[in-house]
Amino acid sequence: MALDYQSCIDCKACEVACKEENGVQLGADKQRIWVTQSEKSIFGEPFVALHPSQCNHCLDAPCVDVCPTGSSYFALGGIVMTNKDTCIVCKGCMEACPYDARFVDDTHVAVDKCTFCYDTRIVNGEMTTACQATCPTKVRLFGDIDDEESELVQMLKKRKFYVLKENEGTVPKLFYLLPENDDFYAMNSVDENTNIYTWKEFKPIIEKAKAKRSPQWKVVQ
Amino acid sequence: MYVVYVLLAFALFGVIEVFYERYFILSANALDAGLAPGSREVAESMKEAIFGSGGEVKREAPWSLYIVNYMYMIYVGSGIILLVALAELVDIKLIKKTAAGFLTLGLAMIIAGLFTIMMDLNILHLHWMFLSPRYTSGMWLMLPLYLVYIPLVIFEIYLLLSHHEHWAKKVALPILILSLLIEFVEFYVQAKLFDMNTARHLWTTYPLLPLYFMVSSFVASAGVMVLYTYLIYRNTDKSKCEDLMHLIQKITLYSVIVLGAYEATAYLFIDKKWAEIILFGDFKFYFYAYLILAVAIPFVLLFKDYTSSFVKIIAAISIIVGTYLGRMIFVYGGNAYPMSDRFGVGFEKYSEYEPVKDVIFFMPPWGEIAIVIGSLGIIIGIYRIVDAYLSVSLMREH
Repeated sequence: MALDYQSCIDCKACEVACKEENGVQLGADKQRIWVTQSEKSIFGEPFVALHPSQCNHCLDAPCVDVCPTGSSYFALGGIVMTNKDTCIVCKGCMEACPYDARFVDDTHVAVDKCTFCYDTRIVNGEMTTACQATCPTKVRLFGDIDDEESELVQMLKKRKFYVLKENEGTVPKLFYLLPENDDFYAMNSVDENTNIYTWKEFKPIIEKAKAKRSPQWKVVQ
Repeated sequence: MYVVYVLLAFALFGVIEVFYERYFILSANALDAGLAPGSREVAESMKEAIFGSGGEVKREAPWSLYIVNYMYMIYVGSGIILLVALAELVDIKLIKKTAAGFLTLGLAMIIAGLFTIMMDLNILHLHWMFLSPRYTSGMWLMLPLYLVYIPLVIFEIYLLLSHHEHWAKKVALPILILSLLIEFVEFYVQAKLFDMNTARHLWTTYPLLPLYFMVSSFVASAGVMVLYTYLIYRNTDKSKCEDLMHLIQKITLYSVIVLGAYEATAYLFIDKKWAEIILFGDFKFYFYAYLILAVAIPFVLLFKDYTSSFVKIIAAISIIVGTYLGRMIFVYGGNAYPMSDRFGVGFEKYSEYEPVKDVIFFMPPWGEIAIVIGSLGIIIGIYRIVDAYLSVSLMREH
């Protein structure tokens, strides 16, 4: 998924759509997706950066490794899924996730997270997620990174992007598009330690992680 | 025995509270709002569901007091068993005579730790550990370990109490070596459990994690052994009690020195953002309290070799409290959000792309606190029952 966060207006429509579509538990802390507001001020000019986020569906996901029951697993295509029926709530995956993308769904007594609307949309052949469909400013773009002709890959070929916490080595699949035509926005919203990539540069990283993990991909339980 | 009943009552209250909160409590949802539009009660309930305590598990601190208590009980229990096994291997007679009691205490602590972790997990789904196992996960590796480890310790206790002395002597050495091997594997697996959480740099960058667990557990175990010796033998055999306390005092002192040396250097190797939180951030008071209680006070009290049992008891209690605090810092500190160090802004409690989060402790639910207190009742209860039938606290030649 690509995130053109420069366009985010923090309307939270995506959060509401996600909760509604996926029946996510009520609660301010129980969110599959969220928008982070981080304030900063460089040389006296205040700025609020908005970073929409969710599970990064890492290609080399540590949450899958630590799960003792296989409740966290890779679905075909590399989407990281959870099976609530087999989750024992050891919370190892919550600790292993660098993005704090997981939470305990108290109604099922199991860990929950973003599934890219797999069971409500993707499985029915749709190629949009609820958050993407509802976004009024078209921040999110979901697609198939293995398909060079997909709208997502075409976008990533056109624009530079970065990923979060790259140093964790998880190869995340949320691509944050570098703000266009606004140096001030880019300067204030991108950490100085963040690497900026082109698709050509990032593709080999994806391929390497895919080669390592794709044997673990399996049919959705 | 009344103390045990009170502590077990805490455990029972905790279990009921956890089951009720986890499986029976209902909270309002959108359907309720649809069925009773405009209802003040539903509105209040929905407000509670959205802005209330946020459920049993906090997103910011998935591993909490349960894990602290589990770690403490397991490590101290294992530490006692390992120390006794080592003492048997090098033929320390005084510990050999009291080995059955020590092993029972260690085993009781392990069972109390397992009780704590059972309550932390979704008990109704635990069978999936067997039906859908992922063998490479740290947590699953603990399972077969316990399946071998606990029967082995019980067998060791049986050998110590057994009248089949000739046979017991024959198998004693292989059993001892096997148990030592399993002990070392256990510390390795426990470290792996934390080390696999690649996002938590406090845990992954802690140098020689199995060694740290082993050394800190030796200190805590020795503290518990001093207290146990005093409580069990002070009235039965005063001179042997003093000799035993003196011996364990030495073990404690050496362990404290090694732990002090480790802690003095470990933070040089840890991710500087996590080290910042622990050493100079919100955890600093807990960290220095841990060092004072677990290392400084026992070192001062035990170094001079006072004859008074009172001094040794104070040192032991200080160690027990201090090392528990150390485990809390380790678990909660690993959960803590690393600070960012942005140019021109300095250290902050969040990174560029994340919301502000506190790194302070969260108050655990009452059920969790009751289970932790109740786990003490389980230790004493198991020990008292075994002792009543097998007299494990008697000093015996073998």
